[in-house]
Formats: sequence, structure tokens, C-alpha cells
Amino acid sequence: MIDEWLTRMRFLFSRRKPADLDDELQFHLERSTAANIAAGMAPDEARRRALIDFGGVERAREQSFEQRPGWWLGTVAQDVRYALRGFRRNPVFTVTVIATLALGIGATTAVFSVVDRILFRSLPYAHDDRLVSFGLVQSLERQEFTLGGFLFEWRDSQKPFESVTYEGGTTECNLTEASPVHLQCAQVAQNFLPTLGVVPIMGRNFLSEEDRPNGPKVVLISDGLWQSRYNRDPGVLSTTIQIDDHAVRIVGVLPRDFEMPRLQQTDILRPAAVDVAAQQKVNSGIGQPLWAFARLKPGVSVREAKAEMEPLFLHTQQWIPPQIRKDFHLQVRSLRDRQMQEAYTVAWVLLGAVLAVLLIACANVASLFSARGAARERELAVRSALGASRGRLIRQTLTEAFLLAVAGAALGCALAEILLRVFIAIAPTGVPFLSTAQLDLRIVLFAVLVSLLCAALFGILPALEKPRAAALVGRLPASGAHARLRRVLVAAQIAICMVLLSGASLLVKSFWNLEQQNLGMQTRDVLTVHVPLNREHYPTGYLNFYLRAEAAFGRLPGVTAVGMSDSVPPDADSWHDGTRYSELMVVGRQPTPSGVGGTVVSRIVTPGYFQALRIPIVEGAGFTQEERKSNGRFMILSKELAARLFPQGAAIGQHIEHAQFQPNFVPGPIYTVVGVAGNVKNAGLAGQDDPELYELGTDTPDTWGRHHVFLLATSLPASIVAPWVRAQVAQLDPTAPVEIETLSQTVSKLADRPRFETALLGFFALCGLAMAVIGLYGVIAFVAAQRTQEIGVRMALGATRLDILRLIAGQGVRLIVLGGVVGLGAALVLARLLKSLLYNVGPHDPAIYAAVALLLALVALAATLIPARAAMKVEPVEALRYE
Amino acid sequence: MPPSTDLLQGTLDLLILQTLALGQMHGWGVAQRIQQVSKDVLQIGQGSLYPALHRLEYKGWIQADWGNSENNRRAKFYSLTATGRRQLDAELETWERLSSAIGLVLSRVPEASA
Repeated sequence: MIDEWLTRMRFLFSRRKPADLDDELQFHLERSTAANIAAGMAPDEARRRALIDFGGVERAREQSFEQRPGWWLGTVAQDVRYALRGFRRNPVFTVTVIATLALGIGATTAVFSVVDRILFRSLPYAHDDRLVSFGLVQSLERQEFTLGGFLFEWRDSQKPFESVTYEGGTTECNLTEASPVHLQCAQVAQNFLPTLGVVPIMGRNFLSEEDRPNGPKVVLISDGLWQSRYNRDPGVLSTTIQIDDHAVRIVGVLPRDFEMPRLQQTDILRPAAVDVAAQQKVNSGIGQPLWAFARLKPGVSVREAKAEMEPLFLHTQQWIPPQIRKDFHLQVRSLRDRQMQEAYTVAWVLLGAVLAVLLIACANVASLFSARGAARERELAVRSALGASRGRLIRQTLTEAFLLAVAGAALGCALAEILLRVFIAIAPTGVPFLSTAQLDLRIVLFAVLVSLLCAALFGILPALEKPRAAALVGRLPASGAHARLRRVLVAAQIAICMVLLSGASLLVKSFWNLEQQNLGMQTRDVLTVHVPLNREHYPTGYLNFYLRAEAAFGRLPGVTAVGMSDSVPPDADSWHDGTRYSELMVVGRQPTPSGVGGTVVSRIVTPGYFQALRIPIVEGAGFTQEERKSNGRFMILSKELAARLFPQGAAIGQHIEHAQFQPNFVPGPIYTVVGVAGNVKNAGLAGQDDPELYELGTDTPDTWGRHHVFLLATSLPASIVAPWVRAQVAQLDPTAPVEIETLSQTVSKLADRPRFETALLGFFALCGLAMAVIGLYGVIAFVAAQRTQEIGVRMALGATRLDILRLIAGQGVRLIVLGGVVGLGAALVLARLLKSLLYNVGPHDPAIYAAVALLLALVALAATLIPARAAMKVEPVEALRYE
Repeated sequence: MPPSTDLLQGTLDLLILQTLALGQMHGWGVAQRIQQVSKDVLQIGQGSLYPALHRLEYKGWIQADWGNSENNRRAKFYSLTATGRRQLDAELETWERLSSAIGLVLSRVPEASA
């Protein structure tokens, strides 16, 4: 085998003189002639006889030559040269195919690279398919959580899990050494890393004795912190650092790809050191909030695990106050589902869009190749007549397809890289892992392969048919089968385009609604100032700082109003501020039955809040500074809440008890309603608004926490006011970090995700439209060119130019109508998938579909009319001569 | 004209190898030899002999050397290589098996129909 191969290689590299072959054949003929003469023939006759006996000398020579290894390579080079010549002669075809392929491959690759991370990426944990997140969900918190009061009981009596672990959330913490840094510290159980299957790259995991109250203070640090702070010094192990002024020892370093299961940003892991015995007492007896994760036993599915956990849940449910018991449910889901949430829908929509674009691109390439094949029928026939074999013709076509695909792929990769950068730049921070997405070689290969297949499949169709002798004459129109194929392809393109365009338009409309909606407050010229104070420096509370800062900000030039609040609308994160409607009890009235009425957003605000955000007080009055200094409790209701609590009006002066079921009925403080304010968006931009209540934040130390926010209405630009604000804070507390943002920025961030979705889908729709139009134009122009002669005959026989226009354009219109109707049907079906992404516009909004259909029809008609007009202007005499 | 039989595809290689096993020979010689030995039954197309010779040479089963013929004319002489000899043995064996199998089938057919 190897011998044979080596011999071939030797022959491949040693050139032989063709003259040798001639010599050899010549020798044969001489001997034959001599033999014939010896047999008694005349010399002339002998030579003639010898030639006849031999058969075709030329043929023998060629066949002998073709035996040579590497002969095949030579013909490939020939094919390539031939193809390149062809491309140069027909630049429009070449450029169109390459551009189409590049766009198709580029867009597909870029989007797939993004989506791959979301849909198909493996989590950075060992056997991540067996990791689940479990806990309770309720209307105020839809992400499962657990409480120390029952988690340990569950952990000890559960059956479906191999191991159960938990984390106690992430808190801000400060590295209080020279050049202090603001960090995020996560509290985790001792078996947290082992359960996830994560091993520190250096050092060790926590020990059991370290995960106890008052145990040794140790931490694991993230790879990022190790890099940025310690320059990857291995000596960092066992060194002691100061966290919030406490000495802690570093025992390990986390892997680079480590991430918390809930994806919180984390720099430091600390043992949660949960006092299990005390859980029945802390937090009014329900225990501290914990987030539980578990590893399924082999062979147990998530569904089975949920069923097995149900008895434990039912037992715990008894322990929830009956008033709100029905509101709690058990949730067990894979960790991946918990992480990805609504990103799934977006990912699938994008994937669908990009596949549609790839389909259009393929259809385009196919119809271009098919048209070219039809136009070259005569050429193929000539080559065939001159002795080219069928295989050779097919190979020639494949060579062309391959060359174009390679060029398209190279351009496509460059385009993909650019697109990916653009995606990452415009993507909201909420899309998980997008920032780490990179071009995936497998995906590039996939896209190239698909387009190559398209080109090859449709490229060789014309070559497969035996060229008809009639094609040599070149007076017949192209064969009907290909023409039909091209028309089907164009109709399909228009259909896909219709789907893409309507999807994109729905998203654009939805985004427009989102941007244009009335938030109920002023976001222009409002600064939000957040000062996360160092807890250690304020043992007696933050009130003093807040009051002095508020006063200092009020004195700044250009600041027209200063408000304070514990949260800022239209933030959707309402868990900390959530209240149940039934917890609001109007004094002197039967309480609302528990569990009805849904949730209410509550905020603690100062009198300046309404002025800063310009929220109108529609009834009664706003809070006053006197009320703030008094000992009373005052409340302002949103219009919606007032209408629900007091349908007859007259809310002002009523008293409302804000009770709490945590976990038992706790009588709450009684508030006096002093005013009714306009409704403000408070469940994110797209969320269903909840009624809202404002409680007056009084000047008592426990009212104000370190996460509260200042709201400054300014008459000067933010860039001028911001440094003044920083200077004021620095005067009060030089160590306090200051975070300043304009409220419009905050709001605009909330729209990042819809903006991202809209931009991407819009981009694809336009790509698809452009390609479909090119395809349509190409086919109609081709048909018109092919029928030039026929047009000439018709005109000579008396057809008017209008008849010709009708003839050519009619064909285009039929395709447009067919594709459009099919596409409309498909779009109506598929639009339902978009439903969860749409805001204030139904998936079957008739105006959108009408507009899209009209747009598509107009553009497609234009693509048809241009070549049809050209056909109309043909001079009959020229057309008749046309060949 | 003596009756001639079309050569089975692939058989030509076997015939060439078998002929060259007798010794070095040029193309014309190979053609003559096959014709003589087969008592003129096998008339190989002389034109198709040369592509076959070249193919075998490229495979490394036979090798070619330029030498002088009987009448001192420059000619290309082919001879069997070691690989070629092994190949000949293998192909002969296959041929034996094949022909005896065909022989069996052909001798049984009349019995079955009788």
C-alpha cells in the first residue's frame, strides 16, 4: 500500500517528457508495419493496416497521459482558471453571489455565536445537567428562594438529591486596606463548591469548622481579584486581609470561569456560617433567606424531584399563615432554566430570524446559479460536443460553487466578527454571557457548508442533464424545469421575507410604544445619587449623613429640588418594596379577604420626592417638612390605589393600617392619608403596573439605610452638577463612594433589552428584504433577457409596449402575490412566539401586517418593473436579431 | 478473421502481468505475445494496451527502462517489479476462484432446465 503510494508520489514530482510517449507509440507502429511487410504486404498497405489494427493513436496517447498521477490536479487548476475567467466576464453575478453568501454566513455565524452561549453552552460546573435550583415562589418573588426556618428540615429529609447546598446572597463589602476597594462578598455553605463540582485552582475549599457561627474567618477569592489585586502571586494563600475592618485569611482561589449559580457578580466567598439552631428564632422565626441548589441523584429527573419534594413542601405550607398560604408554591427547576429565564425566547427568536436569512441567502445563490446554468446551456453543449465528459462538466460547476463559497465565507467571517462586536456593544447587560461570546469555528464551518451545499446542489442541476443537441443552436428558451425552480425559489424568498419583516415590525412598534409611553414622572434633568456608605463608620445609623447631604445638595446652584427615597421608579425589582393589597386595612372597615388584590409597590420618600420627579399631587397635598419632623405617620396613595381602596373618593384624612403577615399577623403602624398622587410606572417599562403607596420617611435613625437614593432635579446639565455633588459628599465623608446617574440613563437601560431585540431583528429583516429583492430582480431581469427575441416577434406582430410590460411584470406580480400570501399565513402563525416580547401591541396587529405587505409589495414591484421597463423599450429590429 | 472475444474489464491488467512474468518486453511484444499464446482468440485492442501499461507503471507493479530492441531501435522495455509479482499471484488466485465458480454455475444450468 505504502509502496504504491510512494511510487505515485515519485511520478507526481518527476516530470516526464511527452515525447517519450510519442516515441513508444511510434516504435509500436514501426514494428507492426515491419511485421505486415514481412507477411507480404506493400509498404503503404502495411502501414495503413498497422494504423487500423492499433485503433486511435491520438486517443491512446491521451488515455495514457491521463493515467499519470496528478493529472487530475492539473485539470482542477484548469477548472479554477476557467472559473475565474468566467467570474471576471460576469462581475455582476460574481459580486451578487459573494455578497449574498457573505451576508448570510456573516449574520448566521455572529448570531449563532451569541445564541450558542445562551442556549447550548454548558455551565461551568461538573455535570451541570444534574444541578437544580429549588425553593418557594410567591407573587412578590417569582424566583425561587428558601428560608432557614425550613431549608434544613428539607435538606435532612429529602430523597431525590445527592446533595443540597445553599448560598446566603451577596452583599457589598470593602477591602479596607491601603487603597480600599468596593467588593461583592457571597456567603456560601461549606458544601457549596463540592455540590456544584467546582474545585479551587489553588488552596482549598472551606472546612466544616469554618462554616459555623464564630468559626475562623477565612475566604476564597475570585480569579479576577487575584489577578487585579495580587498580580497572581501564589503567596496570597494564608495571607490575612482586612474585609470591612475584620482580619480574614485567604485559603483558596476560585477558577477563572467560576460564577455564582444566580450569576451575581462575586469577588469573595465567605462561609455562610448559618446558625441552624437559631433559624427558628431569627427574622421573626422564619429564618434568614437562603437560595438552595442541589445535585440530582443519577437517573432522577427534575419532574420526579419536584414530586418527591412535594410532601416536604406541604408540611412547610402548614407553617405559612393561612391568609397567604395559597400564594406560595414549590418550584424545582434546572439551574440552566433559572439562569436563562426570558433569554430563551429572545435566543430562539434570533435563531429563527437568522436561519430565515440563511434560507433566503441560499435561495438567492441557488436561483443565481440556476439562472447562470440556464444561460450557459449552450456553452455546456459546445463543451460536451468537443469531448468534455459529464463528470468534467459537473466538476467545473462544483469548482465554481466552491470558489464562490470560499470567497463568501472569508468575507462572511470578517462580517461576523464586526457584527458580533456591534451586538456586544449594543447589548443590554441583562443578556447573560453575551460579553464573552466569540466567533465559533464550528459555526463558521456550518454556515460555509450550508451555503456550499446550496450552491453545489443548484449549481450542478443544469450540468446533470445531458446537454441537448438543440441547445447548440441556441434558439430555444431555457428549459422549463429550471425556470419553474427559480420561480419557486423567488416566491419562497418573498414568503420568508414577509415573516421576517412582520416580526421585526411588531418589535419596532412594541419598542416605540415602550419608549413613547407616559411614565407619569419627569426623567429629564433628574440625577440619582447613590452613596453606599461604609457600615462600620456609621454605628448609630445614617440619618445624620442623609440630612446633611440633603441640605448640602439643596444649596447647590442649579438644583431645584432634592428628594430621597428607598427606591426609584420604574424599577421592576419590587421584592423589597412589595406589599400585599390585603395587608392594607382601612381603619373602621372589614379587612379585605387575604390573598386577593395582588401586590402593591410601597416606597419611603421625603416631601421633595414629588417635586424632584414632578409627580403631580391630584388630590389633597404633598408631604410637608412639618409632617416629616413630627412623630406622625403619613401616606400618599397613587390614583389607582386610592380608587381601589376608596371607590367613592374621599381618601384624604382616612386612616390605613399597614399590617404584615410575617409569618403571623403583625399589627402594623396606622397611617393618615394626606394626598393622592398621579400614577407612575413601577413594574419596569413593560410590566403591568401595580398600585403604589408612598410612606413619608421621617427623621428617625432607622428610616434611612445605606441603599437609599437622592433624587436631584437640576436646571444645569448633569456634567456640571455631578462634580459639585461629589465634592459635597467628600466634605461629609471622604471615604464614601458616590454613584451618579441621570434618571433618563436609568430608564434607558431598562429599554436596552427590547432595543437590542428590535435592532437585531430589524437588521435581519432588512438583510432578508435586500436579498429577496435582489433575487426577484435577478430572476425577472433574466427572464426578460431570455425572452428578448420573443418580445421582438410579438412587437413585430403588433403587440404594444404596454402588452410587453404586462407580460413581463405579470410574471413578477404572480410570484409576489403567491409568496406574500404564503408568507402572511406563516407570519400570523409564528407571531404568537413573539407574544412575550411585545408591549402594547398584539401579535396579530392588522395595521402592522397591512403596512408590511404594502412595503414588500412596493419594493418587490419596483424590482420587477425595472427589468420589465427595460424589456418594454427593446427595439423590435434589434430584438429579432438578438441571439 | 479468427473469432475474437471482448476482454473482461480488468482482465487486461492480469494478462499484461502474466506476460511480463516471463521476462522484460516492450509494448508491441506484449501485444503479440498475448495474441500468440491465446491462439489469436484474445485480440487485445492495441490502443488500449498503452494506457494499461502506463497505469500499471504508475502503480509501481511494473517498471520501464529504455533499451535497444533486436534491430537496434530505441524502445521502452517493461518488467515486473516485486510488488507486481505479489499482485499477479493475488490476482491469479482471484481469477481461479472466479472462473471455477462461473464454471460451476454454467455446468449446472443445463441440468436444472433439463
